[in-house]
Amino acid sequence: MFHNSSQRKYWIFKSEDELEHMRRKANQKFRNKILESGKSGVRESVFLERHEEDVLFRHYEKRLLDFCNAFKPAMPKSVVGAAIMYFRRFYLNNSIMEYHPRIIMLTCAYLSCKVDEFNVSSTQFVGNLLQETPAGQERVLEQILEYELLLIQQLNFHLVVHNPYRPMEGFLIDLKTRYPTLENPETLRKNSDDFLTQAAMTDAGLLFPPSQIALTAILNSASRAGLSMESYLTECLALREDKETLSKMYDSMRRMKTLLKKYELPRAEEVNVYKQKLERIHAEFAISSNKRKRGYEEDGHVAKEPRLTEEEWTDEDLI
Amino acid sequence: MDDQGCPRCKTTKYRNPSLKLMVNVCGHTLCENCVEMLFVRGSGNCVQCDTPLRKSNFRVQLFEDPTVDKEVEIRKKVLKIYNKRDFDFPSLKEYNDYLEQVEDIVYNLTNNIDVENTKLRMEQYQWENRDLIQKNKAKLTREQEELEELLLLEQQGNEQRRLEVLQEEQRQLNAKRKNKQALLDELEHSQLPATILLAQHKVRAAQLETQIEQQKQVVKPTNVFSTGIHMRQTVSLQAVPRIEEVMYHYKPLQVETYGPQVPELEQLSRFGYLNHVRAAMPQDTAGGYTSALACHRAIQDAFNGLICSLFY
Repeated sequence: MFHNSSQRKYWIFKSEDELEHMRRKANQKFRNKILESGKSGVRESVFLERHEEDVLFRHYEKRLLDFCNAFKPAMPKSVVGAAIMYFRRFYLNNSIMEYHPRIIMLTCAYLSCKVDEFNVSSTQFVGNLLQETPAGQERVLEQILEYELLLIQQLNFHLVVHNPYRPMEGFLIDLKTRYPTLENPETLRKNSDDFLTQAAMTDAGLLFPPSQIALTAILNSASRAGLSMESYLTECLALREDKETLSKMYDSMRRMKTLLKKYELPRAEEVNVYKQKLERIHAEFAISSNKRKRGYEEDGHVAKEPRLTEEEWTDEDLI
Repeated sequence: MDDQGCPRCKTTKYRNPSLKLMVNVCGHTLCENCVEMLFVRGSGNCVQCDTPLRKSNFRVQLFEDPTVDKEVEIRKKVLKIYNKRDFDFPSLKEYNDYLEQVEDIVYNLTNNIDVENTKLRMEQYQWENRDLIQKNKAKLTREQEELEELLLLEQQGNEQRRLEVLQEEQRQLNAKRKNKQALLDELEHSQLPATILLAQHKVRAAQLETQIEQQKQVVKPTNVFSTGIHMRQTVSLQAVPRIEEVMYHYKPLQVETYGPQVPELEQLSRFGYLNHVRAAMPQDTAGGYTSALACHRAIQDAFNGLICSLFY
């Protein structure tokens, strides 16, 4: 359960500022690494700025979501949620300039299928890359397997992700049982689902426990339908005598809603500009990725010899 | 396989199966006949090594290798002098050194290495330790006697038991014979028809048989355990110290879930929760699944960590 999970211990952070600080540090770390490597003619302007990184990150996250939704056989929501969560956790401590999000997002999806017991074979998995030739799919699969261990390591081996989907079901059951004031709780489901899907694309999962996210989704959906559910909180969840907790809860709900409101899909032209920049960085500093592989082997991992260069396929091949 | 044989007359076990090989202190063999012939006067020299020997010292060779016989002989002699025991030494190491020394002497004498010196050493040792040797010898004999006494007792016990069994059998036999005689007497004198008498006899015989059987079954209570401890002998054992242990008290598991109280799994249906979840199909229940499980888990997940602001 969540209360004694690694998610609660290590992957719930205090504030948005803390997350931003970590991402900034990851960005800086990559810059320092390149600058220290003593490459001549490297200007600071080559690198992606934090906000540029963020745009690309959101772009690839959306692609991950689309890929998962188009996946055949249909992927359960918990698998999708875990994949997105892995993706977010990975780029908390790593820059997208260091590891290309294109391959990391597929690796995240592949890993979450395994962890959440959604049984697809690896060939079946890459078979969902419809634009790829069978040989291309084979290549992608090889890369996924190559990055899988790195991903797990970067997730610090905390692989169980608690999604807000089951808690939402729990709340619906509880509402139907103990809160007859609400005539038809099922009407709330549609909007709540949408809320959770949107929340997955924000930092909500890194800031709030899944049950709070689910409750916020339900309350949000109710308020949209013009229903007030305050009495559910005070009566059924027994928060009446604890004014402080209640106000804190309202506070975090507000924060969550602003997070969702702030979210916007990156604009295509912006994405294209930054993407070119990203490709340039990856082409120029390809050594850094080789360095990773070497370091990997030193750790005692068995890394497959990369038979093929990484940059042979582009984003447009996906989906 | 090289056959054992007498080195003098060249007879072998193959040619003379009743051949008896003898061995003397020097470790060289001779057959019985040759011994008879050469040592008519009671003493003589060894054919092979010229050691002066006595006829009375000849022993039947027990081992294939005559040197082993020789060693056994020598060892017996040496141990008569070197009869210290482990508790005569302050430490195990010294005792082991002593044993090593004994082995050295035995080896030297057996293989004719430095015989003179070794013998001198032995004599010196004997002189220096004569008191101790005497004492140990006495002790050894005493122990020997005790052992023999025990054996004797056991033998006596066995004999007695055997006699008892014999007596018992004799008694039974007598009883049977008397019974038979009584039948004959009755047949002779009684006025009753023979068939009735026979039937009576049969009953009595059967009774006798069962009596015997019963007696056999009643095993005489022994009063000695096989370990030699007498029964009903109070062996003074120290009272086993009583160990005071604290009883285990079950404490129900308390888990802080940072959320509202979740109803127990058993209460779900009473509170009506189960009306709002999909009922389990019959084929689902085969593995032990009930809809309450899924319902419980969903509600648990919903309430778990809800009041989370408390922990950061």
